[in-house]
Amino acid sequence: MSRLRRLVLSLILFVLPACQQQSALAPAGEEAARVALLSWILFAGAAVIFVIVLAALGFAIAGPERLRRRLRAEGAIRFWGIAFPAVTLAVLLGYGLWLMRETIASPSPAALRVEVTGEQFWWRVAYDGPATKPIAEANEIRIPVGVEVEFVLRTADVIHSFWVPSLGGKLDMIPGRTNRMRLKAERPGIYRGQCAEYCGTAHALMSMEIVAVSQAEFDSWLAAAKAPTVPVSETARRGAALFLASGCGACHAVRGTRAEGTIGPDLSRIGARRYLAAASLPNTAENLIRFITDSSAAKPGSLMPPFAIFSPDEQHALAAYLASLK
Amino acid sequence: MLMSPLAQARRAAAWALATPGRLALAAGAVLTLAGVAGLLFAWSGIYNIAASRGHLKVVDHLLRFGMENSVRGRAPDMNLPTQPDEDRIRLGAGHYHAGCAYCHGAPGTPISPVAAKMLPPPPDLKDKVGLWKDGELFWIVKHGLKYAGMPAFPSLERDDEIWAVVAFLRRLPELDRLAYRTLALGEVEPERPSGAEIAGGGSDQEAVGACARCHASGAAPSSRLVPILQGQPAAILESALRDYAAGLRDSGVMQTAAADLTDNAIRKLAAYYAGLPRPAVQPERTDLEIVARGERLARGGDPSRGVPACLSCHDEQASPAFPRLAGQSARYLEGQLAAWRAGLNDRSPTGRIMAPIGSRLTAEQARDLAAYFASVMPARRVGR
Repeated sequence: MSRLRRLVLSLILFVLPACQQQSALAPAGEEAARVALLSWILFAGAAVIFVIVLAALGFAIAGPERLRRRLRAEGAIRFWGIAFPAVTLAVLLGYGLWLMRETIASPSPAALRVEVTGEQFWWRVAYDGPATKPIAEANEIRIPVGVEVEFVLRTADVIHSFWVPSLGGKLDMIPGRTNRMRLKAERPGIYRGQCAEYCGTAHALMSMEIVAVSQAEFDSWLAAAKAPTVPVSETARRGAALFLASGCGACHAVRGTRAEGTIGPDLSRIGARRYLAAASLPNTAENLIRFITDSSAAKPGSLMPPFAIFSPDEQHALAAYLASLK
Repeated sequence: MLMSPLAQARRAAAWALATPGRLALAAGAVLTLAGVAGLLFAWSGIYNIAASRGHLKVVDHLLRFGMENSVRGRAPDMNLPTQPDEDRIRLGAGHYHAGCAYCHGAPGTPISPVAAKMLPPPPDLKDKVGLWKDGELFWIVKHGLKYAGMPAFPSLERDDEIWAVVAFLRRLPELDRLAYRTLALGEVEPERPSGAEIAGGGSDQEAVGACARCHASGAAPSSRLVPILQGQPAAILESALRDYAAGLRDSGVMQTAAADLTDNAIRKLAAYYAGLPRPAVQPERTDLEIVARGERLARGGDPSRGVPACLSCHDEQASPAFPRLAGQSARYLEGQLAAWRAGLNDRSPTGRIMAPIGSRLTAEQARDLAAYFASVMPARRVGR
């Protein structure tokens, strides 16, 4: 019984990614579709070859003598052991290269450029701003649907890997190098991504979300970055004062305030994000407070020092301020 | 047939020495017997544990011989600089008065009759310090001595404080009563004017816990290794004292001073020092280039090393949970930054914020920052 339960559970775990918008088998972009097609061809081909091998094994053990003699003849080994794999693999390689041709070459300039820098353990995002100053974001990347977006991939520390399976293949972020990758989302939606190269303690909690919206929606979202949010409620205003006095602005930036730190993620629109801590915690007041007061318990390995100096009242004021930043 | 005892012993020895196996057996039997005899001796209560009786002379010599060789063998081969360092001597004097004087006495104050009846009796140090090298004194102050009642230093992490005590010990033999009181008590005058006040709890011992011995209250601290407390926010003074008392912040000197403060006393002390006007201390003048580098770091941080701007937490407008650094001495700041860089103080709520940041500073950055903050005149008194 318990063995059966374990089997069912592991099967569910295996299938689950397909339901979570983080699956190479649920493509929502051109490149991901090509990757998925290639994967299915490989799976089907491998299944056919597996059946042939099993059948040959069965005959070799218990088949009629005539068949067994033919199976162990030198000609059979030359064909099935050398010629067939060489030809099959060569054809697959050629087909794969042909499929991926557009990923490798990028002839025309992309409509939108987004710089993504991997850091321990979050994603720094920068859009080319309307003025000269780029617009900073973190961990949640908004892109317009149906437009080819060029991602400029760098790292600030160790090797990370940028991977949004539903939109395309993965590409490493390597110290000292700038890698480029183009992705296009065919349908609006939220596509989850994940650092795909072990980068330290919190590697497993270094996720992100790509939010694909219509071009009009995207344009107004980007334009709104020019007008910083002003805290309205009394609690949020107290939180804003506390945020500055407690030194949060030394590492975090909030547009339109004295907080201009660049060490940690930009918080100008943290209230609008669905998740916190590199898409590892749902964005709720409780989680905000937990992360501020004991970051390494909320996200083991996080490099933010814990701020266990606030009274419950001050904690709520800070959370209210951050939630108001949209 | 009867054998003489000598012949019997000879025969037994011949039997035991015949093979290695028999020898081992004999040795084992002797050791076991000795162990059992020792246990019996301890169990019987024959041994007199009384400190009043003293040791046998031979035991006393043996213990001293072992102690001296152990210290010489383990002490670091380090020396104080030949030039006397007044800042260290004053800090060391402050701690000596709180931690050492009760047992070892001080110029003008004899060893307490209670402590004098310890076994061995704590020596008057002015006769003893000349027998040891600097490194040996350092080792004894740091680690203490087993079987002698000499305790180890409260914090084994703060070698800088221990060296300050050693620096004071070197000065100790030259001191008379007045010179000692000037060093150890500073502006505090413990002599009570009336018999009623002395009867009501006033004596030299009370001055042991007096903050103003080292930190002063009207003037600036006499040692540049001691921070200026006047005008710091009450919240940071309170949390610092609580952290020292709870052993969450590493300092042998301050853990000793804060250990027996009540909650109420901590609150009152913090409010008192927070409300005092800042003493007029001239900003320190040093190399302008170093100061400029320190200022850049204090204002902008070093994002490439994950070091945020110091002033976002340590300027006059920041939260009262954090200390103001402007106008503290460069020596004090450098000592504190060295402690952060060594990974100390990372257990209290505020310490957990500063510890990862402090450990990312380079030695050069720490020096630049100390020079910068020491060169700044605080804008105004905070008094929160």
